[in-house]
Amino acid sequence: MLPDRTDHGSAESGRKGEQDAWGAFGLVVSGVLVWGVVGGLVGRWLDSSLPVLVGLLVGMTAGLYLVWFRYGRA
Amino acid sequence: MNTWLLAASETFTPPGPRDFEFPGIGGSFFTKPMLIIVLGTLIIAVFFYLAARSAQRVPGKMQFAGESAYGFVRNSIALDAIGKEGIKYVPYLATLFFFIAVLNIFGIIPFFQFPATSKIAIPLFLAVISCVIFNAIGIKRMGFGGYFKAMMFPPGIPKLVYVILAPIEFVSTILIRPLTLCLRLTLNMFAGHLVLLLFVLGGEYLLRDYGGAVGIVSGAVAIFGSIVLTFFEAFVQLLQAYVFTLLSALYIGGALLEEH
Repeated sequence: MLPDRTDHGSAESGRKGEQDAWGAFGLVVSGVLVWGVVGGLVGRWLDSSLPVLVGLLVGMTAGLYLVWFRYGRA
Repeated sequence: MNTWLLAASETFTPPGPRDFEFPGIGGSFFTKPMLIIVLGTLIIAVFFYLAARSAQRVPGKMQFAGESAYGFVRNSIALDAIGKEGIKYVPYLATLFFFIAVLNIFGIIPFFQFPATSKIAIPLFLAVISCVIFNAIGIKRMGFGGYFKAMMFPPGIPKLVYVILAPIEFVSTILIRPLTLCLRLTLNMFAGHLVLLLFVLGGEYLLRDYGGAVGIVSGAVAIFGSIVLTFFEAFVQLLQAYVFTLLSALYIGGALLEEH
């Protein structure tokens, strides 16, 4: 989860890279998934399709933000 | 290529998901993938039994093979990905690696030629086991609340934003991780088997039924391609077993490290 960037040499950084790549992928996918589903449910309740769109966009933004927060900062 | 073949003649049926469904052997419930699981488990058990039976200070051939295989998982996966604490998890990781690798390799063993791991139930169950293990380790290490707090509430984010971010972190760890483990293995094996089937069946059709100079030349190319792809599949099958085990180890390592 939280990448540990303190003590890995070059051999290990490749593996870390693999985990980071899948971690980033997972965050974006689950962002869209969670808030898309929430938006869909709200939309069904309100009988409107707008909340799905809002949910998907919010989820995507939040997922990308988390990727930056976890992996993108120096 | 498929549509072109179909246009030429209606007799070629391209391989598809149906080729992954088997009738029970002798009309029973027992199917070919089940047989492969049983045989694969026996092969692994017998191999390691023979390797460890009479361990000597100077290892014999079997012992050397067994120790090299086990040592690979121990050093290149457990110790590298987890660190010193990884030693505790070598038995699980080794079991995982050899089970997946052998079931994958059955995809290119003559007469069997079906990777049992392309049936989604097997990778799914293995992924669920890995998921339960790394979460249990994290919970044991930091307590129930502490583990989920570290997972869902990384420090340094405004409080209000947590409402949006925490569910994402939760889903990505609990649901997406095992799902990607499972799908990556299943679909790699599924696609690999499908490609091999297409090359072999298509080549056979071109050589035998389509005929003519075009059929014979392109059929020969396809059959030759199927041999090359078989070697490529062997590589993919071992690689996917390695990736599944390595990611399981990295998740375990992450659960051990997490502290906030």
